[in-house]
Amino acid sequence: MAALHRELVVSRNWVSPDQYGLIYSLARATPGTNLLAFCAGIGWVLARWRGALIAILAASIPCAALVVWFTFGYSSLRSHPLAMSAIGGMLAAAVGMMAAAAFRLSRPGWKPGNRVRAVVIIIAAFALSYGLSVPPIQVLGLGALAGLAWRTST
Amino acid sequence: MNLFLLYLLLLKATVTSFSGLTSLPVVRADFVVHHRVLSDRELNAAVVAGRAVPGPNGLYVVSVGYFVGGIPGAFAGWLAMVSPAFLIIPLLNYLGAHFERPAVRSAIQALTLAAAGLIASATIPLARDALHGPLSLAIAAGSFVFMAFTNRDTLWVVGGSALIGLITGALA
Repeated sequence: MAALHRELVVSRNWVSPDQYGLIYSLARATPGTNLLAFCAGIGWVLARWRGALIAILAASIPCAALVVWFTFGYSSLRSHPLAMSAIGGMLAAAVGMMAAAAFRLSRPGWKPGNRVRAVVIIIAAFALSYGLSVPPIQVLGLGALAGLAWRTST
Repeated sequence: MNLFLLYLLLLKATVTSFSGLTSLPVVRADFVVHHRVLSDRELNAAVVAGRAVPGPNGLYVVSVGYFVGGIPGAFAGWLAMVSPAFLIIPLLNYLGAHFERPAVRSAIQALTLAAAGLIASATIPLARDALHGPLSLAIAAGSFVFMAFTNRDTLWVVGGSALIGLITGALA
């Protein structure tokens, strides 16, 4: 994001700092991958649908191709013992990555005055999903409703 | 699995999430638990693949698509990943003025907190599959600390854990 800011706002003046801030904020509120929504927003401001489409393609095609290549490598090496040892290490690391993702997601809501709210929502979502097997979509919907009913104090 | 259904299921996951891995619980519920076309190990590998390459965090859905339906499945995954991004256009046009409303911000923040709880619950079955013994536990703990408290590139974790696994495998 820092590189995009430098290119779009500082070096080329394609968008103003206010436009950049608005698109950045709305990208965070857009469902899906925030970075792709941000690119679509910048493309839309610069060249409407054509710009949004080009921005999305440029931001997603190369990395998606790399992911397919990586996944293909995993599938091909599943029978190789030494490769499986390396993959076993990576799979263990993935567990830590997911736990860290949960931790990092909860951090912005972990502010003084809102901590009880954060703990209640996180534990309730965990219990509903893991303990009661409530489908994730319903848990997320309940989370949004809880947010409307129980506002942040700041 | 039918490609259109694959796209719709992945789209359901991406369009109801607000950052990369928040779609993971929905993906697991649909593909691992309900339809049984993906194993926990493959889902775990998809997360690694998504994190091992530069790009947005939600990339792992492309890998999930590949596991389920090969190259056409990966295309369906890519399409499901990029489709919600276009929702920013109506947001820019109509909702920009309302974004700062406390109710909207509060709902999005609570939804994100709920997603954190969901990810924690989805991590448990994946941990059962991937963690066997003190070494894998140590790798997972080290990965957590690295990812939670530093802003360094994920490739360090992926490369380091692969190297540790490789050395351990060679010594055994």
